[in-house]
Amino acid sequence: MKFYFPDSQDLVSPAYDFLRDEYPAHRVRQRDDRYAHEVLAEAPYHGILVSKSIVDGSIKGAGKYSGAQRARLYRMGVHRFFRLPRGVETLGDNGAFNYIDEPVPPVTVAETLDFYEECDFDAGVSTDHVIFGYEPEATAKTADPEWVERRKLTLRLAEDFISLTNDRRTRVQPVGAAQGWSPTSYADSVNALQEMGYERIALGGMVPLKTDQILACLTQISTILAPGTELHLLGITRIDAMDRFSALGVTSFDSTSAFRQAFMDDRKNYHTNERAYVAIRVPQVDGNPTLKRAILAGSVSQKDALTAEREALKALRAFDGTPAGRQDCLDALGAYEVVCQSKKSYLDAYAETLEAEPWRHCPCSICREHGVEVAIFRGTERNKRRGFHNLSVLRHQMGQLVHSRAAVTNFADANT
Amino acid sequence: MADCYEIRLPALKIRQGEQAIFAFGVDGKRIHEFTTVSRVHRDDTELQGYQRPEVLSHIRAIRRYLESDGAMLPNAVVLAFDERVSFEASTDRSALDYVTAGELVIPVDESLPDDQKPAWLVDGQQRSAAIRDADLAEFAVAAVGFIAHGEAEQRSQFILVNNTKPLPKGLIHELLPDTEGHLPTAYAKKQLPARVLSALNFGSRADGQPFATRIATPTMANGYIKDNSVLKMIENSLYDGALYQYRDPIDGTGDVDQMLLHLNYFWTVVAVTFPEAWNLPPTKSRLTHGAGIQAMGYVMDQLTDGVPAVELPGLNLEKRVASLRSHCAWTSGNWDFGAEQIRRWNGVQNTPNDVRLLTSHLLRALR
Repeated sequence: MKFYFPDSQDLVSPAYDFLRDEYPAHRVRQRDDRYAHEVLAEAPYHGILVSKSIVDGSIKGAGKYSGAQRARLYRMGVHRFFRLPRGVETLGDNGAFNYIDEPVPPVTVAETLDFYEECDFDAGVSTDHVIFGYEPEATAKTADPEWVERRKLTLRLAEDFISLTNDRRTRVQPVGAAQGWSPTSYADSVNALQEMGYERIALGGMVPLKTDQILACLTQISTILAPGTELHLLGITRIDAMDRFSALGVTSFDSTSAFRQAFMDDRKNYHTNERAYVAIRVPQVDGNPTLKRAILAGSVSQKDALTAEREALKALRAFDGTPAGRQDCLDALGAYEVVCQSKKSYLDAYAETLEAEPWRHCPCSICREHGVEVAIFRGTERNKRRGFHNLSVLRHQMGQLVHSRAAVTNFADANT
Repeated sequence: MADCYEIRLPALKIRQGEQAIFAFGVDGKRIHEFTTVSRVHRDDTELQGYQRPEVLSHIRAIRRYLESDGAMLPNAVVLAFDERVSFEASTDRSALDYVTAGELVIPVDESLPDDQKPAWLVDGQQRSAAIRDADLAEFAVAAVGFIAHGEAEQRSQFILVNNTKPLPKGLIHELLPDTEGHLPTAYAKKQLPARVLSALNFGSRADGQPFATRIATPTMANGYIKDNSVLKMIENSLYDGALYQYRDPIDGTGDVDQMLLHLNYFWTVVAVTFPEAWNLPPTKSRLTHGAGIQAMGYVMDQLTDGVPAVELPGLNLEKRVASLRSHCAWTSGNWDFGAEQIRRWNGVQNTPNDVRLLTSHLLRALR
């Protein structure tokens, strides 16, 4: 089982000054910054997924790349731009979520393949249109006509895509996109793609599905799956179900959830093999909109806020693992919560995090270098590092899967 | 343990019509002992105080500067005193009848809450906060104070003092190349590109330097290529393109001579390939327009990234750039961006989208 990490220009600055919360004056984004595969001793993923809409922009805005970065990606190709170690694979797609509200995709098959070829991807997903709905009993006659149309369109584009890759004798491995709204419709899509000649198929639109719904689809697909056809799950992690996915023919998946939980989830911010902990929130006085408004309105003294923020950081950095040290941290954090006028208190959860001190036991290079800073929910540099740490945990968890042992062993070899 | 004491500061009283102001020096670390930084808040419905919150990033920048060698804050902070503060003249007369030497006497009562301190900071909030936070034992600043009669008068002074315009960006960029010492981050970053731009502009046209005297800056009003366009092209290349090879990522400095060689070589090829378009102002030519300069900058990066300046003659750039001719409509005709995107020659604007469109078009034509 291989894990792909979707790129969203997530990097950290190796020279960031944690004590002053400052970047070096001359830092150049991306170039001087580091990806997860550069700051962790081992790349935490087998591949990266890069969406055209993130690079080139699409319906919803201009993408995440500056003009100069985009030009350099096209010039250098995806491997050199990302400074990927040998053995880390690259997969391109269109980022169909970006145009989900459009009647038809705003890109052509040729533009899609241009992107893959010019950036020199190993593999690329055919142009597709996401069906955002699940009705297991609906047939082509009873389903929402728009879903039926989108599935047809996706298959037609996949046919154009594979014939274009043949015409151009491209080096990019074509990956067919399968859309559906039910086990039967997904299986029909996969069947059609196999007949077109695809040996690798990406299943799209499954992000909102429950695990048993995904399993139902995979079970149905497995009845027509040709030996050797590889399945990729777009946007799905579900580590608990991975072994079952794998048994049904899934060979790879991609997801940002372990990474994003570091700073998006209410509770599961810092992952360990056993469980997830809450990261300790110490927002920056000048970075927290609520606090800024309260200061501007005169209801919070900026001096008090700054003092409370500093005391919280000081206590955390001085934390020695003793109950007294823990109480000092909780007192300082509680005082800061009051100043911040927080709607709810995380103190009980912080007590658990502090008691466990997971960063002290974590072997990943980020926790070793930065210690408690990784557990602090504050600013992009700490939050992304915690996300990278979570990826390293995911990588370890994947190593524990029955079906992926072989793949992971190969992967480790390729990295050395 | 609250204390009451007096701070006595040597001061000059300067008469201004009916009013008087006091010029004095004071240790910035002590300003907050007797000064309140009143912030805007509402007491029921009445507006109290008048000051905005500290801008922490700005304070950090000043603080870094203060901790650097040879730091100086020449402009005075402005304080509005209330009537508890007095001035004691030390001499009856002075050579100038509008200046009197003496001492300001400021009573300090540590038990008073912040908003009842005898002085209010009208200007210099960020500076005094930076001094307060800085890793220094003391840092004396020049101060100007006046005794205000009521909060309304203080407030009007606050508006007057803060009603200033920042320097125009173009002028700052022009001053940067010959600036030494610590600069705020945003300007420190611009210094190297600005230095390269100025060297391009002050070269000699007789030596065939394509940008010489062509870039419009505040002191080079006859130029017709906007300084900002060239600055963007240089920055793009410096961070993501061909000029990156001359930059030292550790300290952000760069080899300006090699960059000049590189830029002059490539842009000479451009000027020779498109002589008419190169000599016309942006209203008549898209080549000298922001979009053209930036897009051709990407062409430079495409063709010369990683190649040192001395090896550029071996690349046959003349031929590569000439191959673009049939795809360009710098001064007339239409751009054919494909997929039914036809634009008149001047239908390309200096927006990120149009620059991107033009760049893709040119880079595709190269392949």
